[in-house]
Amino acid sequence: MFLQQFINGLVIGSLYALTAMGATLIYGILGILDIANAGAYLIGAYLGWYIFYATGNIALAFLLSMAAVGLLGVVLQRLIYSPILAKPRTLSIIPLVAAVGLFTMSSDAVRLICGAGTKAYNFKFPVDAFHLGGVTILPSWVLIFALTAVLLLILWFILNRTRMGLAWRASAEDAEISRACGVNTNSAMALSYILGYGFAAAAGIMVGILYNSITPALGEVPSYKMLAIIVLGGLGNPLGTVIAGLLIGLAETLLSVYTKIPIPKDAIAFVVLIIVLLIKPSGLLGQKNKV
Amino acid sequence: MSAYFFSIGATAAIFILLALSLNIITGYAGQAMMGHAAFFGIGAYTAAILNGMGVNFWLCLLAALVMAGVCGAVLGVISLRLQADFLAITTIGINFVMVALFNNLKITGGSLGLNVRKPMLFGARMTNTHFFVLTVILIVIVCLLTVKMRRSWFGMALASINNDAAAARSFGIDVNRYQILTFTIGTAIAGLAGGVYAHRMGFIASSDFAFVISIQILSMVVIGGIGTIRGPIVGGILLSFLPELLRFADNYRNLVYGGLLVLMVRFLPGGLLGEGSPILKLWRRIRGKGVGVHE
Amino acid sequence: MKKILAMLVALTMVFALATAGMAEAADPIRIGFFAPVSAASAAADGQSAQQSAELAVKLINENGGINGAQVELVSYDDGLDTTEAANIAEKLSTADNVVAVVSGSYSSPTRVAAPIFQDYGKLMVSAYAVHPDVVNAGNLIFSQSFPGAVQGTAAAEFAVNGLGAKRIAIVAVDLDFGTEQATYFKAKAAELGAEIVSEDYIAISDNDMTSVISKIKGEDVDLIYSVNYYAQASEVCRQVALQELGCPILGTEGADSWQLLETAGEYANGLYITTNMNRDDANEGTQAYIENYRSTYNMEPDMVGASVYDAFQVVFAAIEAVGTDAEAMAEYIQNMKDFDTVTGTLLSYTSNGSAVKPVQIQQVQDGAFRHYSEITDAAIINPDSYAE
Repeated sequence: MFLQQFINGLVIGSLYALTAMGATLIYGILGILDIANAGAYLIGAYLGWYIFYATGNIALAFLLSMAAVGLLGVVLQRLIYSPILAKPRTLSIIPLVAAVGLFTMSSDAVRLICGAGTKAYNFKFPVDAFHLGGVTILPSWVLIFALTAVLLLILWFILNRTRMGLAWRASAEDAEISRACGVNTNSAMALSYILGYGFAAAAGIMVGILYNSITPALGEVPSYKMLAIIVLGGLGNPLGTVIAGLLIGLAETLLSVYTKIPIPKDAIAFVVLIIVLLIKPSGLLGQKNKV
Repeated sequence: MSAYFFSIGATAAIFILLALSLNIITGYAGQAMMGHAAFFGIGAYTAAILNGMGVNFWLCLLAALVMAGVCGAVLGVISLRLQADFLAITTIGINFVMVALFNNLKITGGSLGLNVRKPMLFGARMTNTHFFVLTVILIVIVCLLTVKMRRSWFGMALASINNDAAAARSFGIDVNRYQILTFTIGTAIAGLAGGVYAHRMGFIASSDFAFVISIQILSMVVIGGIGTIRGPIVGGILLSFLPELLRFADNYRNLVYGGLLVLMVRFLPGGLLGEGSPILKLWRRIRGKGVGVHE
Repeated sequence: MKKILAMLVALTMVFALATAGMAEAADPIRIGFFAPVSAASAAADGQSAQQSAELAVKLINENGGINGAQVELVSYDDGLDTTEAANIAEKLSTADNVVAVVSGSYSSPTRVAAPIFQDYGKLMVSAYAVHPDVVNAGNLIFSQSFPGAVQGTAAAEFAVNGLGAKRIAIVAVDLDFGTEQATYFKAKAAELGAEIVSEDYIAISDNDMTSVISKIKGEDVDLIYSVNYYAQASEVCRQVALQELGCPILGTEGADSWQLLETAGEYANGLYITTNMNRDDANEGTQAYIENYRSTYNMEPDMVGASVYDAFQVVFAAIEAVGTDAEAMAEYIQNMKDFDTVTGTLLSYTSNGSAVKPVQIQQVQDGAFRHYSEITDAAIINPDSYAE
């Protein structure tokens, strides 16, 4: 039934939007494709699991895990990314190799510390599922919609209603000129990483709850899929990312259910991306090329 | 021990060839290519399919080269429309789509992969040593070709595309033609490497050409020193032997590998032997050439 | 750089000396082993395989070794990478001086390694790789696992004749593991008069089963055949329960893991699987393995581990009977009959080296895998009946 599949697609799409938001915020300021964001997603999911396991409080798991992973992001930005970017004439693929290294380390560290086997979140909702006229809605989906909406509202507020946000937007527009005008681009970078890694951590926990399982391989799919989403959204554009995430979630779900194309869901994101870029080379909401 | 060495050596040589070919596209023309493994795979599957039809080894290699080059030329045309990071991610996309096709098409053996008969050389089955020697010869040829390219008009055109395409255009350089040509040459060599790889392994499956392999090739170029010939060679040797050398680290192998990538890029973003690398400066000083050299 | 190198060399020498000091005086029997320990996506299976290999060697040594000689395990991590598997095969064959090898890895690495061992005259027993070409590498290569043909056909037999399914939906992983079993399942189900209503092939990396199950819900099926590994099979169980499809699910040995019980929880109850491990087997060896595995690793054993353990038992038996000559061992294994293993009675081997053993049907009851029935029909369980 179409309505059911549409909702299924929206759930996946919301998760994608949230997962890719971190990479978008980071790209917006630093101009790097930060695959290591998927490491934040993985570590966030595991931290959340330990906190939930110890305290039984899921809200605490979200908050602490997001805060800790956000701080980790700032540390990485200060120690790794900023020094690399500070070198003259750095090609954009060079920080990417560092990000790949960090991501490899995060997956392996999680495997070594937390074990190779699957862990179950076992978060119990008061009801198993709502059935409304043939359509099934799971409580975990409601949680995902609600949290995504809240987090995006907070993001909107920070970017548009605070001084820090103003600095972020100015830096994203043109870092050189902003710096010349006295904007603290350093704090804009830190903000990108705190929010970016924090959002990734939240997305990781949500996926853990949704499928009731986390493994050391959790970050593998997001590590590349989020690249497709941020590019489709126009690289560094938060609103574009939300639209692109939802679009890819829907496209994957509907195409895999209603058509017989011989490619797996994972490749659909890239097929959509290639088609869009051939028509509009700067992405869905990209105004200009940031080169 | 030597059989083990030539086993790793043959793989390392194939990856050096891949790194050199990627370097032509990324290092000299400055185009962000992140789906190199797709063309490696196109070459490998072309060779494997022809091998299954009983085609001669050398013809298989030639076909692998041509097939990948033709596909690369198409990508070259597409690349004219896309800027930097958009191109990077489009190429990642191409990698995923190709792997999906390899895994689902009948002609590529689907998820079962393809078996490849080992070719005969002077009446005996080719061994890893033969593949190693063959690939080293190919590496030498590619190096010579690269040097020649850089010294010719073509090289100057590439350098100017890399620095400023608009200025190059205003000098009357046909930027588009050279850019497409670079993609064609780079991917054709990757296809050739794929042809050798398929025969050396005797079996290929879609996962051999996944995105991580593209990243591995890219890491070799970056770690060694992008835009040089020595860089991809050193990077290729280092990253091919590293997983084996790190066996002493046992369970911590991947962790150490990832850590080394981060540290190298953090402290030597130009690569071990790229322009401006401290190792290179030291080497030049020892050889007495340090005086007067400026970056 | 030189300093680092010097340090590395020094470190390696220290390790070498330390391990040399610990070596036994008598010549141990060296057996090679490889598994995907470090590949994040396969690490759980890699760990299970590795631990079972270590357990097998530990237990035989505690019992005095083989004919008085201790067994030494030479194990490698292949990272689920075919080029690494090729390197490891060369190293085991030429440098490590092993007498036989057990593969605890997946299809691709095992498929690449098999002909290398055959060429060097080394015996290899593959524990659970399903690629049909593994055993075709030569007379020294054996496989303990069911080929896809056997498990798929047995599943169809059970689905149609055992559970009376008439309308069946297939959900399979799009690897050789999934496509092979699905192909033979379809053929047998059609022969028995059931209708395959839908087929969906899902990438191994894709955990989301929601939309597929929603689609199947509209088809009104009376059985779902899920040829998936435990993570996806768990999600199939959960979605079928949550979306209230109310039809039984038949899984495969891919779902045979404590991890499925952990993540699917109560929703796994009722799931049937075809597998080789019978946890309710009264057989002494089986119970000893399960007990020892639990107490040593504080973990539940699974199909992967049990298959690896079995592969070692086969190699041990061969060495005990005929010594360490590869051809002699191969001949011995080829002629093995009714060998009791952790994964049931190994009836015999086919001419190309595939194990023939009954297919177990297990069901999840109260959060544990329990014996349900067994398929022993020779026409189904003998891989030779599928040769074209």
